[in-house]
Amino acid sequence: MKWATRAGIHIDRAACAWLIRRHIDERAEFIFVTDPADIPAGATAFDIPGAELSHHGGDCSFETILRRYDLTDPVLWRIAAIVHEADLDDERYDAPEAPGLDLVLRGLSITQGDDDILAITGPVFDGIYAYCRRAILLGREPA
Amino acid sequence: MTAQGAAGEWVLLSYRLPREPSTPRIAVWRKLRRLGVAQLSDGLVALPAGPRTREQLEWVAEEVTDGGGSAAIWLATPATRAQEDQLAQAMAAARAAEYQAVIGAAAEAAAGDPAARGPAVRRLRNELRGIQRRDYFPPADRDQAQAALQELAAPGSDSARPAQRGRAGRSARTAARAARQALEEPA
Repeated sequence: MKWATRAGIHIDRAACAWLIRRHIDERAEFIFVTDPADIPAGATAFDIPGAELSHHGGDCSFETILRRYDLTDPVLWRIAAIVHEADLDDERYDAPEAPGLDLVLRGLSITQGDDDILAITGPVFDGIYAYCRRAILLGREPA
Repeated sequence: MTAQGAAGEWVLLSYRLPREPSTPRIAVWRKLRRLGVAQLSDGLVALPAGPRTREQLEWVAEEVTDGGGSAAIWLATPATRAQEDQLAQAMAAARAAEYQAVIGAAAEAAAGDPAARGPAVRRLRNELRGIQRRDYFPPADRDQAQAALQELAAPGSDSARPAQRGRAGRSARTAARAARQALEEPA
């Protein structure tokens, strides 16, 4: 399936792409557009103003996708809190990790293209998932 | 590439929201205040253009539309440098006042109960981060506020560190233009 989002990706779009590939569509193909009018027919748009899979009711796009696809995994919702704060920084959640992750993505957006950012952040989010999963199972910070 | 000294690009949000219900109006107003926008006129705000500022205003535009209003995003260049300077100076002055409030609170905490200093540092650092995020034309007060909090957190530690940048004394306009030029130089 084809998925389209705005070029020049940051935290929310990088996290959404990882979420889509790992939990929704293993063969997802990503297209980056600068104008919403350039979204090809048949592609599902995400994190683009006006799209269904976007910011809604105070949620960032990552949270919207979790809701829309009924993903209830608590580990994903913990990641959602971090992504939300890194993206929106509105203090809705307690996520002290967020500014660090935001800095990493902002730095990558200067030095890397969108496809390369996805290639780099895929394993990063896999690691974050493993860490958060372990923390939730242990009920404390993993050693 | 921008010619030396030319006015930069700004991202504008023009919006209109019904007076009632007031909840979306207030939410939008709060968000814009948090972003530190320059108010050009009623229903027209501006930020220096960048991928992030543009995206932030795009989301506000979406919120306006969701709230039953209408909104549009524009990219614009002030026709004269004086016009841009006026905007930059007003924004810098607004941030300077916020930094001064932090400096005042830090002085108060320094004079008060030593046990309350830790929580005060945490609260004020959080506040400072929020101001810094909406500070596009850093006034000298920015470094002063940072130094005041560092002094409150660990007296004597700030003088041991090299100064971040020689910002003090430069006008917001000069600083912004110098930063733009530095960023445009090929690496």
